[in-house]
Amino acid sequence: MLILLGGFLLLMVLGVPVAVSMVTASLAYLAVHGGAPDVIVAQRMIAGVESFPLLAVPFFILAGNLMNIAGVTGRIYAFAVDLVGWMRGGLAQVNIIGSVIFSGMSGTAIADAAGIGTIEIKAMKDHGYPIEVAVGVTAASATLGPIIPPSLPFVIYGMMANVSIGSLFLGGVIPGVLMTLFMMLTVAVFARIYGWGSDAAFEWRKIAAAMLEVSVVLGFPVSVFILEKLGMSQNGAIFTALGIVLALDYAFKFSAVMALMTPVILIGGMVLGWFTPTEAAVAAVMWSLFLGLVRYRSMTMKALAKATFDTIETTASVLFIVTAASIFAWLLTVSQAASALSNLIFSITDSKYVFLILVNLLMLFVGCFLDTIAAITILVPILLPIVLKLGIDPIHFGLIMTLNLMIGLLHPPLGMVLFVLSRIANLSVERTTMAILPWLVPLFAALIAITFIPEITLWLPRYMGMVR
Amino acid sequence: MSQPTTEIHTKITTEEIAQTFDEVAIPEDVSGFAFEDWMTLGVFWVMCGCVFLQFFTRYVLNNSFAWTEEIAIYCLVAIVFLGSAMCVRLSRHIHVDFLYRYLSPKLGRATATLVDIIKIALFSYLALLVWRYSSIIDDEKMTTIDFPKSPLFMVVMVAFILMALRSLQVMFANIRRGYSILENPAAFDAPSADAIKEA
Repeated sequence: MLILLGGFLLLMVLGVPVAVSMVTASLAYLAVHGGAPDVIVAQRMIAGVESFPLLAVPFFILAGNLMNIAGVTGRIYAFAVDLVGWMRGGLAQVNIIGSVIFSGMSGTAIADAAGIGTIEIKAMKDHGYPIEVAVGVTAASATLGPIIPPSLPFVIYGMMANVSIGSLFLGGVIPGVLMTLFMMLTVAVFARIYGWGSDAAFEWRKIAAAMLEVSVVLGFPVSVFILEKLGMSQNGAIFTALGIVLALDYAFKFSAVMALMTPVILIGGMVLGWFTPTEAAVAAVMWSLFLGLVRYRSMTMKALAKATFDTIETTASVLFIVTAASIFAWLLTVSQAASALSNLIFSITDSKYVFLILVNLLMLFVGCFLDTIAAITILVPILLPIVLKLGIDPIHFGLIMTLNLMIGLLHPPLGMVLFVLSRIANLSVERTTMAILPWLVPLFAALIAITFIPEITLWLPRYMGMVR
Repeated sequence: MSQPTTEIHTKITTEEIAQTFDEVAIPEDVSGFAFEDWMTLGVFWVMCGCVFLQFFTRYVLNNSFAWTEEIAIYCLVAIVFLGSAMCVRLSRHIHVDFLYRYLSPKLGRATATLVDIIKIALFSYLALLVWRYSSIIDDEKMTTIDFPKSPLFMVVMVAFILMALRSLQVMFANIRRGYSILENPAAFDAPSADAIKEA
């Protein structure tokens, strides 16, 4: 156990890639303790990614990358300015709303921070916000990415914990909304304190137009539902409603309806039970290809190839960790690390809430040292038996774990989002840390609420009949 | 944030923000990618094709082809390992570099070289392990079609060999350059085509 965990941590700190550290430590453990021939490493690594649910990973990444080149980013932000730009601290609110919409398309936090984050920070700086504020808002709102579905960490957690990925996604919807509200509230409070004004004129016409677009988009799943109730087949209903939306868009030249349809197709499709997560990802890819190649014609073959390469890169770096973790996590269980920890925990407490507090502290700590995917693959096999024994719902636990790890991305010494943003904004790590600090308040508030009120997470999947 | 009174906010319009986001050029530079990357790209779109086909057969024909799913999964395995070779070449595997902020340049260089050597050794050994594994179960067949599974293992083995060779190449590039991604991460930042060319 010492060789396994100690070796892994040592190698990782030295700068060996996380996946390589895991495999090297596993091989060392097998060499010292025996127990299995080392060929099993090859077998486990290949079998680790031979799974249908994991196919969702490349498609969610591809969907996000394609949306970036489909020529809709500007439209989404224009829509956000219409919707919330008139509020105090308008651009900060716009930043949050933009992140929410993008979170509904892509599944990672770091990509969100690095990609649109760069432009968000620049836009805020150009309009008179201090760079610290721009960095803070961008960092905080990047954590929404993996909470609002689709989400890569949920796919990996679902696979490791053997829970339905669909219900994890549903479980993320309300916590995501809650976090958004908390953050918008924080912006409102800061705006009062520092006297930020609005960034766009308040015009009823514009807000009405934005609300109209929202209602057209939300009208899509509703009309499918009604058409189905009227006796139409599911396929017929979907295509009729889609046809109506396309015709409306063509006639009225909406700015963001087509772009906003992506999260609706993704999340709505899963909520209403049309799609499994993998199919939803495929539908989103098809939709963004349609937007880029047919509707807006902004995609070139070169851009498509580049987006594919980016997708391959992200997929490989995430799933290579999963392959390595499938041997590492197995050895962790074999080496009794899990039962040792479980005994330790039960010797301290058998209360669910004390355990949740302990686990939150542990994961916040781990989250700032370890990459999200690696942390999930290591912690789930160790913690899940205790979670089940204490009667905590694994979906609830998945939400807690992911949110903790996301917050971990923001604080030193190893927060990846922190480093990415400090490089983008050309700010020292120390100043970036201080810039992010106040934004941890709404995040911790959301974390406490989500931890101690399981209903926030479990109500929606339960209502849709996906968990008992 | 300490001088709130000096802030002057300028108004933003819808058109202006749309332009800010749209004028950022869509990256189209694909010159930095190697031959094996284009192969991976091919496998990737085969995988997409299979999954699209499955989607289509399930939703439109209400009868899905079982083999599409299996082929797509094998494509995914190939993409993960071949793509991992690409990540090795571009130094994009997820790693941690905070230690190097506290090491002297000389010590940092030595540690980074040690890391490179560990990578090369591990990838070569894994290639050997996959070879031994595939020779143990060389008669295994795919589930839905009557075709041996060994080509998949060969792809994974080739991918590990590529990873070993590419990390060797990266090590020499690091030595010649005098720093690696661990010591100077800013030089490897994503959008710069230079980093791709250098590696």
